[in-house]
Amino acid sequence: MFSRILIANRGEIALRILRACKELGIDTVVVYSEADRNAIYLKHADYAVCIGPGPSAKSYLDISRIISAAEISDVDAIHPGYGFLSENPHFAEVCQSCNITFIGPPPEATRVAGDKVAARDLARKLKIPTIPGSEAALRDEKEAVEIARKIGYPVILKAAGGGGGRGMRVSHNDVSLVNNFLAAQAEAQAAFKNSTIYIEKFVERARHVEIQLLADKEGNILHLGERDCTIQRRFQKLIEESPSPIMTPALRKDMGNSAIAFAKGAKYVNAGTCEFLVDERGKFYFIEMNSRIQVEHPVTEMVTGIDLIKEQIRIAAGEKLKISQKDVQLQGAAIECRINAENPNNGFKPVPGKITSLVIPGGPGVRFDSHIYPGYEIPSHYDSMVGKLIVHRKDRDTAVSAMRQALSEFVIEGVPTTIPFHRAVMDHTQFIRGQVDTTFVESYFGR
Amino acid sequence: MDLDQIRKILELMESNKLIEFEYESEGTRIKLRRPDDRAPAAVVIPQPVIAAPLVSPPAPARADNVFEFKSPLVGTFYRAPRPDADPFVNVGDEVNADKVLCIVEAMKMMNEIKAEMCGIVRDILVKNGQAVEFGEPLFLIEKK
Repeated sequence: MFSRILIANRGEIALRILRACKELGIDTVVVYSEADRNAIYLKHADYAVCIGPGPSAKSYLDISRIISAAEISDVDAIHPGYGFLSENPHFAEVCQSCNITFIGPPPEATRVAGDKVAARDLARKLKIPTIPGSEAALRDEKEAVEIARKIGYPVILKAAGGGGGRGMRVSHNDVSLVNNFLAAQAEAQAAFKNSTIYIEKFVERARHVEIQLLADKEGNILHLGERDCTIQRRFQKLIEESPSPIMTPALRKDMGNSAIAFAKGAKYVNAGTCEFLVDERGKFYFIEMNSRIQVEHPVTEMVTGIDLIKEQIRIAAGEKLKISQKDVQLQGAAIECRINAENPNNGFKPVPGKITSLVIPGGPGVRFDSHIYPGYEIPSHYDSMVGKLIVHRKDRDTAVSAMRQALSEFVIEGVPTTIPFHRAVMDHTQFIRGQVDTTFVESYFGR
Repeated sequence: MDLDQIRKILELMESNKLIEFEYESEGTRIKLRRPDDRAPAAVVIPQPVIAAPLVSPPAPARADNVFEFKSPLVGTFYRAPRPDADPFVNVGDEVNADKVLCIVEAMKMMNEIKAEMCGIVRDILVKNGQAVEFGEPLFLIEKK
């Protein structure tokens, strides 16, 4: 087992990883930028190293600064969290060459998962259903139109180099497709330094259902069930839950096996997630694999009772998975609401600022993963998520009620937050019935 | 109070970094205020070997023109280009913008750190071979 881990991240996930390390008796080194000098978790780390100014490019995204910090603090492993360098295969390679274990998949697996076109290709080869679309990167807008006419509108352009909604454009006809082509390329270039885009049929009334995977270094792979992340705005998740209201044991088995087959094909190790779309008829299609721990991992932790961060660390340290597929049971229902410092009445615009008042809900099965505290100044350099509120109950109805109650107790003042938005969703008939699709937020909550 | 007096007050505030200035008259009563720049009490970092404390002890009274030269990199601080060579600078040395003060080694790369200012080295705040973080004060340089 590792004796010292460097946490190459910030905010709530840095605190989450730190907590897991503490429980495993592992020393922690936390890096921070000047903008995070008042982060609350710094005082809990064994060592805190300032690596640069606020802007991520000169701090959390700067490989040489992270590795320097790792070298001077003599760590044996680095946990990259999510975002930042977590899916950067070059970073994983640099760690390898410095004899530091990267807590995540091997660089080759990250490359396959990270290249969305290659991933689709692999899925097709493994006979995993994929959405009809281009089989390779698009050469130009002419090819896009050719394929769109073959598969039928509407279509969606996506960036091969990344996700998170950037570089994604939906088109309903040739004209908008041609216009969107250049825009998507530019966005992809800006976000991922890679202007490669591909095209898929746009599944209009879909649900986003993803499968959590764990794979050890000996080739054992298991899935920990699904998370339904259909409540999204501009392809960014807002609410996640497990189990999915539309899931059946048969569908779970099929999707789980597909996810495992993909991971095996990609020679994947550690925690990862296969994302699928499920259409109105209950057919599922592989979209992509995320080769990192995800923001919404607590949802799976609550229903399975498995600590995913600890499992990541154990796997990276060479331990064999102690659970087998038949041991994995989803108990009850869990829902997560992402609490962002954004104004839901003003296009969800992020609003950095100081938290002047904070009252966190509690009670059995109520969990808040966050780094904020009264008086905390939210820096402007990073994303606007201030925490995740998760509830776990014996079934979905009581989980929705529990979330409703927890949100009503929640007070965050000083910045606008998405709490009012989440309260509105918990009261919304379609959500209560579990009958939503990816157009939900847009349809009922404007743009 | 005329505009001239107000201007003088504004100058006074700026040169002393005041954010508030009150004034009464016959009974006299002045009130001046600087921004509160103490770090929040909640964040107190333990003092491990390699990390600088976030809540620094009160800085010793420094003359106005003595400047804390801070590390632009994370890494290991070396005073000389090689173990057997003379240090780049000693206390009392005059430096100019291009003068290399030290090396901060990061990922096996020896980065030469230039002074980027003119002055005299008044103190060397870290030891040879010490691990330094971004923003850690390395030298005291009296500006010329």
